[in-house]
Amino acid sequence: MLQDIISKHRGSFAAGASTELRVQRNLQRRVSLQKGNMVGNVRADISGVSARVYQNGLYGFASAAEISDAAVKKALEKATYNAAFLDSRVKLQKGPLPGIQQGTRPADADMTDVPQKTYIDFLQAVDAHIAKTYPDLISRMVGASADSMEKVIATSDGYNAHIIAPRSYIYVFLTAQAKDGSPVELFRAFGGRGTFDTVFTNPESLHAGIAKLHEQLMHKKEGVYAQAGQKDCILGGEMAGMLAHEAVGHTVEADLVLSGSVALTKMDKQVASPLVNMTDFAHTALGETAPLPVYVDDEGTLAQDAVLIENGILKGYMVNREMGARLNRAPQGNARAWSFSDEPLIRMRNTAVLPGTSKLEDMIAAIDDGYYLINSMNGQADMTGEFMFGISMGYEIKKGKLGKALLDTTVSGVAFDMLKTVDMVSDRVSWSSSGFCGKKQPMPVGMGGPELKCRITIGGR
Amino acid sequence: MNKPLETAKKALGMMMAKGADSASAACSLSETNELNVDTGVFSLMRTTLDASLSLILIKNHRRGVVAVNDLSEEAIAKAVEDCLQAAENSPPDEAWALSDIKQEKSFTRGGPADLDKLYQRTRDMVDEIARDYPKVVINQLVVEHRQSRSAYVSSADIQYLSESGLYGLGMSFLAREGEVSSSFSGVDLICDNLDKPFLEADGFRQALKEAQMQIHTVPGKGKLEGSIVFTPSCLGDMLGSILGNFVSDSSLLEETSLWKDKLNQQVADPRLTVSSLPRHPDIVIGQNFTGEGFLAEDYDIIKDGVLRQFMLSLYAANKTGHKRAPNSSPSLVVAPGEDSLKDMIAGIQKGLLVGRFSGGQPGPNGEFSGVAKNAFLIEDGKIGAAVSETMISGNLAKMLNQVRGISKETIRDGSSVLPWLAVDGITISGN
Repeated sequence: MLQDIISKHRGSFAAGASTELRVQRNLQRRVSLQKGNMVGNVRADISGVSARVYQNGLYGFASAAEISDAAVKKALEKATYNAAFLDSRVKLQKGPLPGIQQGTRPADADMTDVPQKTYIDFLQAVDAHIAKTYPDLISRMVGASADSMEKVIATSDGYNAHIIAPRSYIYVFLTAQAKDGSPVELFRAFGGRGTFDTVFTNPESLHAGIAKLHEQLMHKKEGVYAQAGQKDCILGGEMAGMLAHEAVGHTVEADLVLSGSVALTKMDKQVASPLVNMTDFAHTALGETAPLPVYVDDEGTLAQDAVLIENGILKGYMVNREMGARLNRAPQGNARAWSFSDEPLIRMRNTAVLPGTSKLEDMIAAIDDGYYLINSMNGQADMTGEFMFGISMGYEIKKGKLGKALLDTTVSGVAFDMLKTVDMVSDRVSWSSSGFCGKKQPMPVGMGGPELKCRITIGGR
Repeated sequence: MNKPLETAKKALGMMMAKGADSASAACSLSETNELNVDTGVFSLMRTTLDASLSLILIKNHRRGVVAVNDLSEEAIAKAVEDCLQAAENSPPDEAWALSDIKQEKSFTRGGPADLDKLYQRTRDMVDEIARDYPKVVINQLVVEHRQSRSAYVSSADIQYLSESGLYGLGMSFLAREGEVSSSFSGVDLICDNLDKPFLEADGFRQALKEAQMQIHTVPGKGKLEGSIVFTPSCLGDMLGSILGNFVSDSSLLEETSLWKDKLNQQVADPRLTVSSLPRHPDIVIGQNFTGEGFLAEDYDIIKDGVLRQFMLSLYAANKTGHKRAPNSSPSLVVAPGEDSLKDMIAGIQKGLLVGRFSGGQPGPNGEFSGVAKNAFLIEDGKIGAAVSETMISGNLAKMLNQVRGISKETIRDGSSVLPWLAVDGITISGN
């Protein structure tokens, strides 16, 4: 038991320092079929122990790829040594971290593994369905992917916790040929929190979603290029989630705030339309368990929601213990690490724009010449709040009605300018949680939102 | 005892005993020491001791792959059993294979860590940036030394041993004045010694200087067709998209590559040569051998504008009937041109110098559009104001036939050697 390894070392934490000890296992399972060829069939099990020690304003960290008493002892000693190595040279001479709530949170599930055969059989059934049902495709790729994380955390002055976090997805990529002979592609991820055998019980449950994806692809292959320029647009719910994560969320992470992000001077100022509310949910969102719940973070902080924007006014940053002290804000559970050998960084959890009161059909009817942008293949933003999203699926809106589908394009803008143009917010929220956020380490995150009507710059050809 | 070798041999023996037709095992032990500077201040020293064991097992043309980092007897036995189960439950495919060329070779590069010197070089860099580029704020600077010992063995009597000790640096930064800041910029470096101060690495001072010039920007206006000069770093990203879409395993297996029938045909301007050169003296982190057991060799992907080789694994080569690529690393080297960067820019009437492309992942048709980041206007042959909210769009395949010039200057960052590349006919649009 991982708990047994860690519990006996709590007494050996150095006095006067904040110490975190973590034992962790990451399981990753991948199967992929490219046009029916099984090009990926991989299982990876990564485990080990790490310790982090904070003293005089500096962190020492050490890890070992071994779960044993000796490895725990060595990690604690080396982390203490590393903090002292830096302290002897840098001499920040800061005091201890402000205290946080102490307690214990046990695991609410067991860490279970699923045989590779389960992934393979399910994926082959999905692939066979696509091959049989959609002969008009020129290519297809399906992938099954699951990652599970188990952490046992002991801290000198915060929560001790046992965390188990599995998630499982099926990825479907469909490719058709456009009239000019060029390939046109669409992608969708199915799945969410839980082990593969609980998330996917029947391949037929994906058929409707795949049919919808195929229908959109058929529209897209007859699609047109968007007209470049500033347009009235409706961002789909997943796009709104990406906006919340990429263009606002990152700029209000304290490490980026302290580096000089656009949010540094915007606290308590109007940064968006009064219709816009945004929260980084810890574990419960809008009355339900959030897509990827976090109850205790890797610094031992009991997780709470971080309200970021309220009625268009910037209200919060996301912090860890150390930067929270620098910004005079209490930590809310945003410090997380991906692997046993990673130190906790400030990360988002389930970041979302909150729903409004409008109906999607009324929002479409309110646009004379614009676009409904449904899905994105990727998005990026920087500390100025300038963002870019690649649009993989969307439609023209002409005189209040949906028109032709769009070929791949890009939208861009400056978040705190664009959000001020939001004049309608739909009453439903779409979530996505299949991706990783990249920031020194990968991290599973959830993001979501309602449809937003706004003005945005769209790239054309 | 060489633990990686002993472990790899043990795992290989167990896989063969389970009835594998062919198999390979790669094992490595590593120690990484890392210093972090966050928001301009030293924050963390990190030591990670890691291990890895990667197994490939092929039985009755069925393949399984397992990776673990627990090297205990019990964990190895479980990994072998998992690998067998993964293989036995997969469909047969005769294209799966490993190298059958018997080899035994050892490789070394770099040496042990000098952590005091690493700290001092980092300290000097932070201090010099504060002194010489006072508007620059370091968001995050990570420097590390990674010492590793690895072994690869396969059922074809192949044995490779390697030892390396390399330094790495990655820094993201911006420049700030009052409430206004530039976009993110970044520099990276991999080297096998600390002889030179970090700040003297190719392109570092230029990137810091340009960040300070990018604090105040003018938004792009209107729409025109112009020339783009891609910096080496941005060229590397664009080439990544080009190669991924047109010459990779997936693009050939899915038959979505626009170049699938273009081998030995002109696909780019005759001045363009793109190679994968892991043995190049300026490629510090190249490749010694591939995961399929082949010795890594240099090769040209595009030579004088002609497509010479797809970047295919042995599996994809067997499936498509094309030749396997002689290595499986990027190690990208673009041959320098004859023009100086200054002369190249002097010939441009209207265009942009682009340091980073923030765009949607181009689809298989090669169409791209995105924001020009860390970018400057070029007007009448001169570099002008930094720009923001400016998009560029075009087609990756067509772009390679619209080359205007290739600089004779290159940037060597330890993983690639790339020049500045100028292309015509790109749509530039603003608000």
